[in-house]
Amino acid sequence: MSEQERRPENDGRDFADAMWSIPSYLLAGMAVYGGIGWLLDRWLGMSAFFPIGIILGLVLAGYLAYRKFSR
Amino acid sequence: MSVLAEVSGNVTAIGYGLAAIGPGIGVGIIFGQGVQAIARQPEAYGLIRQNMLLGFVLTEALALLGLVAPFIFAQL
Amino acid sequence: MSALTVLASDEFGAPTPDELFNLPPIIPGVDWFTKPVLLAMLSAILVIGLCWGAFANPKIVPGRLQNVMEYGYMFVRDQVARPFLGKDADRWMGLLLTLFFLVFIWNIMGVIPIAQFPVASHIAFPAVLAGSIYVLKVYLGMKHQGPVGYFKNLMFPPGLPKPIYLLLSPIEFLSNLIIAPFTHAVRLFANMFAGHMLLAFFSMVGFWFLFEKLTPLGAGVGVIGVVMTIVFTAFEMFIQFLQAFLFAMLASMYIGGSLHPDH
Repeated sequence: MSEQERRPENDGRDFADAMWSIPSYLLAGMAVYGGIGWLLDRWLGMSAFFPIGIILGLVLAGYLAYRKFSR
Repeated sequence: MSVLAEVSGNVTAIGYGLAAIGPGIGVGIIFGQGVQAIARQPEAYGLIRQNMLLGFVLTEALALLGLVAPFIFAQL
Repeated sequence: MSALTVLASDEFGAPTPDELFNLPPIIPGVDWFTKPVLLAMLSAILVIGLCWGAFANPKIVPGRLQNVMEYGYMFVRDQVARPFLGKDADRWMGLLLTLFFLVFIWNIMGVIPIAQFPVASHIAFPAVLAGSIYVLKVYLGMKHQGPVGYFKNLMFPPGLPKPIYLLLSPIEFLSNLIIAPFTHAVRLFANMFAGHMLLAFFSMVGFWFLFEKLTPLGAGVGVIGVVMTIVFTAFEMFIQFLQAFLFAMLASMYIGGSLHPDH
């Protein structure tokens, strides 16, 4: 909604939107970067990249959700 | 020694159950206190909302970390 | 699947998911026709009948059925459709109202005495609903924002520093197009599944310790089981309503997000 006015209902709407999206953002972040880490581990025969990827994905997804929904 | 009670099956499920207690309490506290803060000071809505969001993201990250911890430790 | 084994005077086995959810066909030989399928069909007929009876020829002074259904309509319109769809709400009420009532009656089947099986605890049912909402979401997004514009709005949220898009776009893509419909279905499924297991477990405790193996020590446990069954039945009814509401609300949220590009 481009021309929408800042009313309390709309604030509540945005807030509910954010709260329902955050878990899927975090899951997606873990899946992308954890997946990349897992593939790197398989390729290089190591076991360090998977946890690193998980944490990195969580941090990036948290940053994205925070920047996207807090204005 | 006779077995009195035993738990069979996948222990990681219990681990995740225990790991979910903390974030559960945390999310409850965040939203409870956040709603209370908004009720007390509706004019500070933007600031409270932003901090609630940050707290929720960090707590939820812990809960999801518990979800993948079994996979991480199965690898190590 | 793990089984918690409690050794009383004899073995007490907690109900396993296999015996609770893997039901035999009602007519031998017709493999697809099981209890959840029958209940799903009955619920669909019930929803059609209720809406037909209430809204086919509405009166100015509403009768009993019309009154109840209008209350439900008002609830869905004010709590589900309007907050997310704004002025488009009335166009989508047909879909959202049926979705809400269908999921609600599917869920409430879990505590109706003879039926006693929440249809949504087989993941196929919520998965089909969530899948059709997902197709609708992508179609509407492409129609209203253009095929390229939809993915551009989806993957590149405005207001972030340029180089960081390289890191964040995969997350946006995966979260909106794969994880979101998945959690949409799984949230309903998991709640109904766990609730049914919980009710079955506590009523099994009550039945076992009070009727099958009545011992002085076990009677207390049995009484606790019966009391917990009653408490959790009330709790389940609340959860069933809440999950139907959330399912319809998320559907309306996805439709609204596709109709209007990101604010």
